[in-house]
Formats: sequence, structure tokens, C-alpha cells
Amino acid sequence: MTFDPTKVKLTATCKVPGILYALCYDETNRKLYGAGSDWSVHAVDLRADKLAAEKKWTNHENYVSAVVLLDNVVVSTGYDGRINWTNADTAKQVRSVAAHDAWVRSLAVFPDGKSFVSVGDDMLVKLWNAETGELLNQFDGHAKQTPQGYTTALYAVAITPDGRHIASGDRIGTVCIWEADSGKLIHQLQAPTFYTYDPKTRVRSIGGIRSLCFSPDGTQLAIAGIGKVTNVDGFVGPCRVELWDWQSPKHIRTYQDKHKAVLNDIHFHPTEPYLITAGGGDSGGILAFWDMKNEQPAHKAKPKGHIQKLLLDIPANQICACGHEGFRLWSMGDLPSTDPSLGSSKLD
Amino acid sequence: MLAGASVAGFGGLGIAGEVPAADALKKQQKRALFIWLAGGASQFETWDPKASRETGGPFRWIQTAVPGYHVCELMPKLAKLMNKIAVVRSLNTGISEHGQAADLISTGRPKEPALEYPEIGVILAKELAARESKLPDYVSFFLSTEGRRRPATGFLGGSHSPMLLENSMRPEDIDLPEGLSDLKHKEREHLRELLSTEFARGRVGSQLVGGYNSAYAKVLGLMQSDHLFDIEKEPASVRERYGSTVFGQQCLAARRLLEAGVPMVKVARGFWDSHHDNFESHRELVPDFDNVMSTLLTDLDERGLLDSTLVIVLSEFGRTPKINKDVGRDHYAAAWSCAFAGCGIKGGAIHGKTDADGKTVVDGEANASDVAATIYKAVGIDLHKEYYSGLRPVPIAKENASPIDEILS
Repeated sequence: MTFDPTKVKLTATCKVPGILYALCYDETNRKLYGAGSDWSVHAVDLRADKLAAEKKWTNHENYVSAVVLLDNVVVSTGYDGRINWTNADTAKQVRSVAAHDAWVRSLAVFPDGKSFVSVGDDMLVKLWNAETGELLNQFDGHAKQTPQGYTTALYAVAITPDGRHIASGDRIGTVCIWEADSGKLIHQLQAPTFYTYDPKTRVRSIGGIRSLCFSPDGTQLAIAGIGKVTNVDGFVGPCRVELWDWQSPKHIRTYQDKHKAVLNDIHFHPTEPYLITAGGGDSGGILAFWDMKNEQPAHKAKPKGHIQKLLLDIPANQICACGHEGFRLWSMGDLPSTDPSLGSSKLD
Repeated sequence: MLAGASVAGFGGLGIAGEVPAADALKKQQKRALFIWLAGGASQFETWDPKASRETGGPFRWIQTAVPGYHVCELMPKLAKLMNKIAVVRSLNTGISEHGQAADLISTGRPKEPALEYPEIGVILAKELAARESKLPDYVSFFLSTEGRRRPATGFLGGSHSPMLLENSMRPEDIDLPEGLSDLKHKEREHLRELLSTEFARGRVGSQLVGGYNSAYAKVLGLMQSDHLFDIEKEPASVRERYGSTVFGQQCLAARRLLEAGVPMVKVARGFWDSHHDNFESHRELVPDFDNVMSTLLTDLDERGLLDSTLVIVLSEFGRTPKINKDVGRDHYAAAWSCAFAGCGIKGGAIHGKTDADGKTVVDGEANASDVAATIYKAVGIDLHKEYYSGLRPVPIAKENASPIDEILS
């Protein structure tokens, strides 16, 4: 099995009504869970001969923005401000918590799986006991308004591989680094290029830090979104990634491409020196592979429609994604030869 | 004396007379405020939410002060004031290209090759102006450059042009030149007036001389009203209520102008053209609109001015029910909304209806000419009054226009 970005190939699409914003993966059972604008959670069994999305349950009252899997329980959140725990097999809701007094944008799970964090547009980072739903702590450090006095948002959150630190990223380009145990704000990284405010032509803004990801060794933080936008009516700016040494903190490198899009999600490849990003915008959808040493992407795929979330299915050497076309799968090079069950499935 | 100073906005007024001083008189005068949401605000995220429908997007609706009527959750303050606001949810205006739609909506008339119609605000200014006032008849704020359109004076001619504030909150080039004291300036003006009067004697009927005097008078009036544009003269508590955004500051300046007797003010707030990321852009724009508009309406009401001030909220069109591939909404003119408050308006009246998905008008359809006729009728302008373009009589409202009487008091 080899990883070769230039051989990335769309292998399957499973359509779902509306837009999927949230995605998680049950590696054991090889099941994808996605959710989004129809308020529902859908699943795709990757072991099936013919892939198809199946609507599993609806227990949110608005768009679902994030899902994570914890011991066969899907933890979901969304614009209704709630976090719901649902048994993946029975579709029965285990627990529901009023989590944020605003849209909840993202979730991130600690490595031990015992707790997770949520971020919402009340500009709070909240730490939860995964098993009981108890609120363990909350961190308050992001600006409540943009510098121009408008509503802002807290889009992104990530946790270091050792579970000791949390990063949260907002609309105006501020990343807060928190000590997970104490809740102490230890750094604020400023990445203002991700936020474009146009004071003259259209008198409004666009952008924001849309995704964060720590490197496998935990020393670097990748920030994704869109660069300077020329027309804030749309995503008319270069897709952009900034790499930071978050402990110094020090900006290391900017990765940017002329493809006009916002990058909604970013991941480090766990073993290869690549960043993998996905999004969409004025130039259409994008799946971009960035060699860490080069500021231009090593390869770009241009899928139909925006991609909102992606995850890496390393055993199957594939990318699982969701967005405007429902679920989609891409192979990342040669398929594994040892386990045929991990191979590509037929198109829906 | 005032090189470069604009004399626009004083159409048809003379120098003589004082600014109406008595509060009672000010409150009797009718005036209008045109809030132009340039680029096309989404009706789904404002006046006609479709919560829980796919077309409705992620925002919920909230109950208003009018039983059974809901607005988007982004407008909690206006929801509480809805008994002072009338909404038309049933506009079908046909044109969904920015420029052509803006022409249509702002004049209430389809384009005609042989005749250019004036903007509604220009007609309001002409009809509502107090002849003795030396204040501008029409002040138009339009700071954003995208979609900027100067109010058309059409066949009424350039003398009805508004005072345009496009680069700053106050008129430009009206300060005295450096080194010229106020006393010196007054002395020069007295001398100029003396010489002009002498010159005009024996030249009775000379329009040219009269025009010179009138032009100087207009500039002097503008200089004397400069303080009205300075919102720093408002108490801090008032400025805080309007907020720190440009739109808030402009609306506060608009209130000062209206209160002082300017009959027509336009505040254009751009740019709502949310082809991408519609929900994020409306999360930014609508709460500001909600705060500023609710503050403005309350402020006008507390000052006893709301009953005599027609507030109009319009765009060139609304936005599509379909959420596009960029999580945006595109242009849509087949079913959208506008709102009114104040003079001549029946607060709490909700006119018309769209279907469950907001795709079509199902009740009370109204077009651009109907909206214009409604505006004129609200302030008591005779819809059948005729202007003349050359020898051609032109009624103020389009001949087949029907004012939306359900929202008129």
C-alpha cells in the first residue's frame, strides 16, 4: 500500500439530502456517520457491496455540525446548542445536554476518550465528561465581537495528541491555546489573514479559522481557512493553511494556493509528511494535499461541490469526506492488497 | 468662498426664513427615512422565516409582538417592536439583476426609453420639503461602493439632487478656508449680498442673478447645518444605543437630520449579496440591523417623531429559497419582503403570504409600483398628482399601481 496524492481517485459517492457538515468513523465496524442540514444522522456501511447512505435517527432541532464516536455512542452537536449521545446500534438517545447558548460548531475528543470539548458561538470552550455528560470546565478568552462590532463565531477546536492542551480558533483569526487541566489560557496566536473585513466596498466580513489540527508529534498546529478575500460576497480568496510552532508561539510557514476556496477541514497524514485539506469556494470544491516542505499543494483534486469534513481511513488507504454531495470516498494511491475487504466498493 | 462645496440637496428652496424652530411644528412636518439594504437582504433571515423547512436554513423563528407572526431569530429586538412595524411578505417584482432591480424598486416604475423617472426619495423630498427651510431637502448616505446608486432625479432635473455623503459622515469642503475667520466670512457675505442686490435692482426677473443668490444661500444653509452631521454632539448613552457600526452611526446622524427638519434621508447599508456563506453573513448583518433599527424606531418614538416619519426598509430583491453549493442564496424577486414603520403606517399589519418554502407568493401579491404608491399614500401625497416632463403629464404613482391599504393607517 502506498500513499500517492497524484493517484487520488474518487471511488464512491452516497448522496444525502441537503448538506452534510459532520462526519465520524467507526473503524471496528467500518461505518461512516454523517449529519448536517436535515438535522439527521446518516450512516454508510463500508463493508457493503453496494454503498448507500441510510438515515439512522433525528434528535436535533437544527443543523448538526459535528459528530464523534465514543464506545459505540455517537455524540452529536449542532445549531440547536445541544449535545446528544445516541447508541449507534439502537439509535436510542442516551443523553441530551443543553451545551451552549448559541450554535455549537465543533467537537474534539481527548485521546483517552473519557472527555471531549465543544466550541460554540457563545465564544466558550467547554470540557465535558464523555460518559456522564457532566460539564467539567469552561474556558472564556475569545473576543465576543469582531473589531468592527459585529457578531463573531468560534468555529474550530483541536486537542494535542498527549491531551494536555486545547486549541480553539475563531472568526477573526485568533487561536487560543488552553491548558486542559487548569483551563489556563497560555497563548493567543494571531492569524488575522484568515479574516477579511472590507470597510469600503461591501462593509462586511468573511472568513475565519475553520479548522485546526495538531501534528502527530504534537509540536505543530495547522490552521485552515481562506486568505485575503477580494470580494466578501463569496469565498473569493486563496485557500490557506498556516503552520505554527504553538509552544513558542511562532509562525513557521504559510501554505496557500490560487484555488479560491475556504478550507473547512485539515488533517496531518499520520505517517507521511503531508497535510490534507478540503473545502470549497469560488473556484469550486477542493481536496488539496500539501507536501510539508512546499508552500504550494503537491496535488489538488477538484470534487463537485464543497467538502465540509474529511477523515483518513488509513487501513484502507482512503479519504472519507462529506459535504454537498453527501458522503464521498477517495483512494489515496494503491489499495491494500492484504485485505480485500478494505478495497473500493461499487458506486451507489 | 467655498470652492468645491456641494449645493446639492436644496432643490427649489430659497434663502429666506428660519429653520422651523418650534418642536410642535417639527413634529407636524412629515418626513421619510429610506433604509436601503443594498445587494438584497434575505427575507428568510429577516421578515419571512421558514424554520424547519429545507429552504429555511438554520435560523429559527421567534414570536413577535404581533400574535401569530414570526420573524427570524436574528431580530429579537424588532420582534418586540412589531406592533409599530408593517411588513409586506408578498413582493413579486420580476427583476433579479442588481442594477435593473434597483432602478425598478427605487422608482416604482419599469424603465422607459423616453422618460427617466425620479427616485421615490426625490419625489418625497420635493413633496415634503418646507419651503422656508434652509436645510437640505434630501440627504443620502451611501458609504459602501458596491451597488452604490445615486438617487435618480429623472425628469425633475439636477436641482433636485440629494446631498450625497459617500466618503464620510459629514459634508465635505464646507469648512472655511484656513485664515478666514467667521467674522470676516460674514462681512464678505454681507458685501456680496449688498453688491448682488444692487446689481439685481433694475434687472427684475433676471433668473440668472436670482440663481446666484439662491446658490450662495444654499451653501450658507449647508454650512450652518454642519453640526447636524456630528454625532459626537449626542450624549454617549445615545451613541452607545446605536452601536459602533457604520450603519448605526449613519442612522443616528439620520435621526438628527430628521429631527432638525430634513424631510428626506436615505441610509444605504451594503452589501447583502450573499452568494456564498449566506448564513454567516446574515449572522453578521442582521443583528446589527436589528439593533440599529430597533434603536432608531424607539428613539424616533420617544422624541414624538415616529408618527410623522415614514421609515421604509427595502432592497432591490430578496434571496433564493434554494441554498446553493456555496451555502449561499442567490438573487430572487419572485417572493420577498419589505417593511415600513411610522407615518401613515398601521403598526403590526402583516400583508401577504408566501408558500411553506417561500418559493411563491400565495396571497396579497404586490409589485414595485404598488410599493411606491403605498409610500406616497402613507405620507399623504396625492397619487394622481401630475408632474410635467416637457408637455407630458406624469402622475406621481404609476397609473395601475395599487397602494397596499392593509398596512396603511
